[in-house]
Amino acid sequence: MIRSIIKLMKSNYLFTLGCFICLCWILAAIFADFIAPYGPITQDLSIRLNSPSLEHLFGTDNFGRDIFSRVIYGGRYSLLAGCVTVLLAGTIGSIYGAIAGYLGGVVDDIMMRLSEMILSFPSLILAMCINAALGSSLFNTMFALVIVAWPTYARLMRSVVLTVKENEYVEAARALGASKWRVLITEIIPNSVGSVLIMATTDLGNQILMFSTLSFLGLGSAPPTPEWGMMVSDGVNYFNKFWVAGFPGLAILTMAVGSNFIGDGLRDLMDPKLRKEF
Amino acid sequence: MKKKVIVLLLTFAMVFIVAGCSSKDNNEGASESVVVIAMGSGFSTLDPGFMYEQNPTLVANACYETLFKFIDGSDEPQTSLAESYTFSDDGLALTIVLKEEATFASGNPVTSEDVKFSLNRTKNLKGNPSFIADTIKSIECPDESTVVINLTGQDSAILSKLGYASCSILDSKVVKENGGTDAEDANTTDTAQVYLDATSAGSGMYVLKSYTPDEEIILEKNENYWGTTTNVDKYIIKLQGDANTQMMGLSSGDIDIALNLTDDTIIELEGKENVKVQNESTKTVGFLMMNEDEKIGGPVANNKVQKAISYAIDYKGIQTICGTGSITPESIIQVGFMGSKGEKDVSTATDLVKAKELLKEAGYEDGFDIDLEMSELDMEGVPLLDLAQIVKEDLSEININVNIVQRDWVAGYGDDYRDGKMGMTIIYWGIDYNDPNVQLVFLPGQQVGLRANWKEKGYEDITKKYNDILAETDSSKRSQLLVEVQDMIEEDSPFVMLAQASCHIGYNSKLTGVNFSDTYRVDVTEINIQ
Repeated sequence: MIRSIIKLMKSNYLFTLGCFICLCWILAAIFADFIAPYGPITQDLSIRLNSPSLEHLFGTDNFGRDIFSRVIYGGRYSLLAGCVTVLLAGTIGSIYGAIAGYLGGVVDDIMMRLSEMILSFPSLILAMCINAALGSSLFNTMFALVIVAWPTYARLMRSVVLTVKENEYVEAARALGASKWRVLITEIIPNSVGSVLIMATTDLGNQILMFSTLSFLGLGSAPPTPEWGMMVSDGVNYFNKFWVAGFPGLAILTMAVGSNFIGDGLRDLMDPKLRKEF
Repeated sequence: MKKKVIVLLLTFAMVFIVAGCSSKDNNEGASESVVVIAMGSGFSTLDPGFMYEQNPTLVANACYETLFKFIDGSDEPQTSLAESYTFSDDGLALTIVLKEEATFASGNPVTSEDVKFSLNRTKNLKGNPSFIADTIKSIECPDESTVVINLTGQDSAILSKLGYASCSILDSKVVKENGGTDAEDANTTDTAQVYLDATSAGSGMYVLKSYTPDEEIILEKNENYWGTTTNVDKYIIKLQGDANTQMMGLSSGDIDIALNLTDDTIIELEGKENVKVQNESTKTVGFLMMNEDEKIGGPVANNKVQKAISYAIDYKGIQTICGTGSITPESIIQVGFMGSKGEKDVSTATDLVKAKELLKEAGYEDGFDIDLEMSELDMEGVPLLDLAQIVKEDLSEININVNIVQRDWVAGYGDDYRDGKMGMTIIYWGIDYNDPNVQLVFLPGQQVGLRANWKEKGYEDITKKYNDILAETDSSKRSQLLVEVQDMIEEDSPFVMLAQASCHIGYNSKLTGVNFSDTYRVDVTEINIQ
């Protein structure tokens, strides 16, 4: 696997770029305390709305806070929210989908109709409703995102399981006397999880965007948390001072694009038709 | 193919015709003297009986007149439709003689019956502004030009209240013809709102020509106006509150008066020759409220902690965020009202040493954690959340760890605030009518005091002073009493006044007489084109 990823990196420069961008953000978020020159919420009203300079690379905001430091720290929230959402939604959705697909029949019908109920709502509106009802906080926003995101994974997993369960090795396992659940856990899920993984990498970018959208609308963590979406929304009031919204916006853009590149690359790797090329 | 070409040509022709029509519309009215105003919306009626928000008072002041009026930003009401007035010795009856020459736009004279009708209608509609007539017991009309207003108790603010937009005097004949009534059951039987949203029925300098909610209001000169007029024939009021749009409209000349600029958009207008700007402090005041009930407020219910917090706040920082022109009042009565204790000296108001001492005395030497519950509202364009962030930073200096909690105004915040269930919050207060008595709601046992669970018990002397103020009709004596009552709450109050918001207006330099007014936004009856 690692060898083929290295191979992929050599041949697919977009994938490499994606990896590089994401790695940068992850390292920046982990080592924010060492990289950021100022505290993310330290105010200095005497230097508010200063344009980018050597002291303040990305300028300062309405409260004289250093935007560079805020962007660096902000990665923590966006990455955390994105990863946790994808992880939880992926796990819940996959298990749900696998059970539905494997058992089939009435159980499948009921389970899938339930998940389609959630899918039939516009996802952003649904997430906003959940968030507004629970009150806005980082945890509630992630919860809302998970609720909205898991059915997509469930559908994908179910369709994969439907094909996988017809394979001979499944039948063989069953013939050897393995129980229903043992077959599901040891044979079907491990053989279906690949496509979910690819979807998860692509989805990471979407979830970060969605999280930023929600906090842009004031439904994320409370200020003065240095959250990218919220920083963009602060900057909207100062449209002639591009750096206030511009730099956090750029951060969201690169993070979303980066994880999409990785997802695309991985899909190419997994696709049997394209795999021969590597 | 031929058919397609014909269709295409026809389409082009239609587009040109339509375009031609609209450009013709734009040129129309170039000979008239028209002034275009841009202001925020947030209201849905122009019927004075239902008028409660601040923006529509601009229209009410143009189309209607009141018995008393605030001229040139003064906080002393001057006679307008009233010629003279006298209070009875017990202060319970106010006799007003009306100006004889005053007439409505319809040509009908302004009579005492119109006054009675208008005030009773406002009271009986039981709408948002009906409270203004709470102290009016009954109204008598001994003759055509004399009105006697009997009060339920002494009310030193009654003249100011009568200057409020919802006490505008309506043409009772016209309004009655269109479904209006001043009967006790007016809240169910009055149907004049539709009529008054489409046109006006007052004696003001202008007449309402059209009103499209959230879009546009058009006012035209009242041809029958009884007084002296200005040289502006027509006002087009665009209901567009966005500061950036207003700024661009003003600099391109599409807008003549912009009422909702912000500190940052006004910088863009600096140096432009045809634009003048004004940064005025308003009487809208932002304040920090701490709950007196220990079960709700926790540590901030402690009087010493409250005082410590008031010493820890950097008022200068608050003013920076509120923008040029904002000031911090010393106590609950804003600068600009009589009886105000003046402006807070921001260079000495912050004293961290004293604040820490007080915290120590209260037993919170190591500080504490506290939730600051905030809504999404803004005060004259400044998000209250921004003020919360300043307060959070300031209080961290004295080891109080503030945790900002965001809550939606409609989804519970509003109710909890009004019911006194909020531990600590920052909110603003806009004056209902232009009189310092309006600020007495911040006293224990009164409307806003109760929102902090500040009950009358134990503060009976303050309540006595409160009643004295309501009864005192002599301005200088009332002013003295107002100062005294503020001294009484100096050391013990759950409110910290943060700042009076500033209002940033910009206007085309061809206009004269454009001045911000708390009561009318700008008084359009004072504006002339040079």
